[in-house]
Amino acid sequence: MRLSARQRSLVGLLQPYLLIAPTLVLVLIFNVAPAFRTVNDSLYKPARGLNAAGRPPEFVGLQNFRDIFDDTHYMGGRFLRTLRNTVIFAAATVGIGVPLGLMTALLLNRGQPLLGLWRFAVFYPSLLPLIGAASIWSFVFSDSIGLANALLRTVGHPGLNWLGDRNLVLFSVVIVNIWKQAGYFMIFFLAGLQNISRDIYEASSLDGAGPMQQFVYLTMPLLRRTLLFVVVIAFTFAFQTVEQLQALGEGGPADSANLLLYLVFQNISERRNWGYVNAMTIVLIGLVLVFTLSNFLLFERDEPT
Amino acid sequence: MALRRVIYVLLAAALLMTFGVTYAQDDIVIDFYFPSATANDAEGIFERYAGLFEEENPGVVVNPIFTGSYTDTRNTILTELQGGGAGPDVAVMLSIDLYSFAEEGYIIPAQGFIDAMDNGADYVNDFFPALMANGVDEMGNVWAIPFQRSTPILYYNADLLTEAGYDSPPTNNAELVEIAQALTTDERDGLLVPVAGGFPIWMYQSFAIAYGQNIVSDDPTEVYFNTPEAVAAVEFVRSLGTDLGVGPAGGAAWGDTPVAFLAGQAAMIYHTTGNLTRILNDADFEVGVWYLPSGPAGDDGAGYGAPTGGGNLYIFDDGSKSAEELDAIWRWVMFLSSPEIQADWGATTGYIAANASAWETEPLASLAQEHPQYGIARDQLQHVGKEFSSYATITIQGIINGTLESILTGESEDAQAAMDAAQEQIDGILAEYR
Repeated sequence: MRLSARQRSLVGLLQPYLLIAPTLVLVLIFNVAPAFRTVNDSLYKPARGLNAAGRPPEFVGLQNFRDIFDDTHYMGGRFLRTLRNTVIFAAATVGIGVPLGLMTALLLNRGQPLLGLWRFAVFYPSLLPLIGAASIWSFVFSDSIGLANALLRTVGHPGLNWLGDRNLVLFSVVIVNIWKQAGYFMIFFLAGLQNISRDIYEASSLDGAGPMQQFVYLTMPLLRRTLLFVVVIAFTFAFQTVEQLQALGEGGPADSANLLLYLVFQNISERRNWGYVNAMTIVLIGLVLVFTLSNFLLFERDEPT
Repeated sequence: MALRRVIYVLLAAALLMTFGVTYAQDDIVIDFYFPSATANDAEGIFERYAGLFEEENPGVVVNPIFTGSYTDTRNTILTELQGGGAGPDVAVMLSIDLYSFAEEGYIIPAQGFIDAMDNGADYVNDFFPALMANGVDEMGNVWAIPFQRSTPILYYNADLLTEAGYDSPPTNNAELVEIAQALTTDERDGLLVPVAGGFPIWMYQSFAIAYGQNIVSDDPTEVYFNTPEAVAAVEFVRSLGTDLGVGPAGGAAWGDTPVAFLAGQAAMIYHTTGNLTRILNDADFEVGVWYLPSGPAGDDGAGYGAPTGGGNLYIFDDGSKSAEELDAIWRWVMFLSSPEIQADWGATTGYIAANASAWETEPLASLAQEHPQYGIARDQLQHVGKEFSSYATITIQGIINGTLESILTGESEDAQAAMDAAQEQIDGILAEYR
């Protein structure tokens, strides 16, 4: 069958949409539609009190949002503290984990004995199931029988209450997260580094560039896309953290290490809190969106095409 | 070709096996959801019970389904029912889940079945009253039947106490502090109370009761969290890790506590009876067990107190089940709560068998004779109080846990002020139910 020019252009127009249709439908059903539903539901308070199950929810406008940003409200107090923790947690895991991954990648990118073993050792934590790894760490952090305190005691320190001290516990969760993810980031950096041609370094050496100059003017600009990708996934990972908290004290004591998604999870089972849970989810989605967009804008600026 | 044929046969066999558990057309199938909070082989035990029950009840098939922790079980059931699924017919859930599920209209009272029994009163009266408290509403209707129940008790390292010149365990808070201080060394805590880690309310309730005021009553719209007794109780718990110096500041973690005790790093601990069997089996020293020491409410022992804990049997029906189905479901509940099964369950797991006659039934009767520690846990039941439960239980429990944690970790120095603020939030929620 021969198609007319017009038919051909129509096919040409539709073809890309047909090709992405399967994915698009899934995204619409499982991502976009629930997101809109969440926005809608965040404007309602579920029926409360006796025989609540049979009664319709009540439209309250932005009251759920006002409540979760009200420090004296039972959910607001928890939410605000958790929001602050989440920002600190994301900043710390990205600010420490990503440079650490980059540094290990730079070290492992040179030839050295037992290279494969080192790479494996650094990458290994990211192969472990998260909940298992976090459970192991919960023993490491245990007050009386843990490895961390046993080591501290050998140098005469009385030991720390890693998961019980409200000023320390978020830091403990950050440690586990970095240990878990730095190796994963390292793999991306390593792949990026190995894509950079050796010729460029040789040429720059001939021009008299030292290692530091090479890193700043060659490696970093050429790794920019990898860095963008790693930073974006590191941020999204940080906002998705749930399993570690389950094993490491459930966000306690008194929410001092709680994170947003886990707070949402903790509150879905009681009907009365569904409005708050939806409102919190919107804030969470908004935060991830802002972080991701600003990363793209920041890194994509002046991108040579 | 031969290989391909083998593969087809295997595939067919696998398919048949998936459908192999077919029921006769007119069999009544009971879906039974259960959590496990201990290291016991609960799945194996329930398969065995289901087999025994099916032998006695032809035409009824019990389908035991393991659903994770208590929290997982509750969330699984809520997700299924809220999404329009069938959910379980019978489930073991926390005894404090009563009002959440009754409020949603998912469960039905057991009272109707009990009223229809010839000896309903005898059946109910055989359960220890303390274990019934959380399963009964304010009108006196029985909703849930005790099944895997526990209560906190005092475990002590008898060898260490004897070494330090104490022949008997502490019976009141003053003795508790004295012995704990005498047994505290650089390497050992004198007393660990597991109030760190998200769920301090249960252990805290022991102290509130010992100080003379349980934080909960028979009225699910009343909570007493800022009374002088409630405040004094939390201040005492906090002082164990600060001024008195017999344990870590902020309290011990739940899972660490028995481990530290077994390793000789804690002389005395508060912990659940659910760990009794494990501790007796694993300790290489003489393990003593006693009532939780009494507080100021009665130094002579009248101030003894602990909350109950653990799970009850709940019956699910949205009104669609036939009389035959409900009859089979009730027979399964009665089977699980019978003295024979409770005696077996208690002896296998360490949970407190819930009815008095189970303690005169083998194998529990001999076990309690051999290890008097089991009997002490049972005898303490005469002093225990209701576990915290109200309308909006989970939310209010969350408020209480958060407040206790902030006081115990020293974040809120002024316990009274923190508890007043919490009580105000709680009353705001409960006002919707009054």
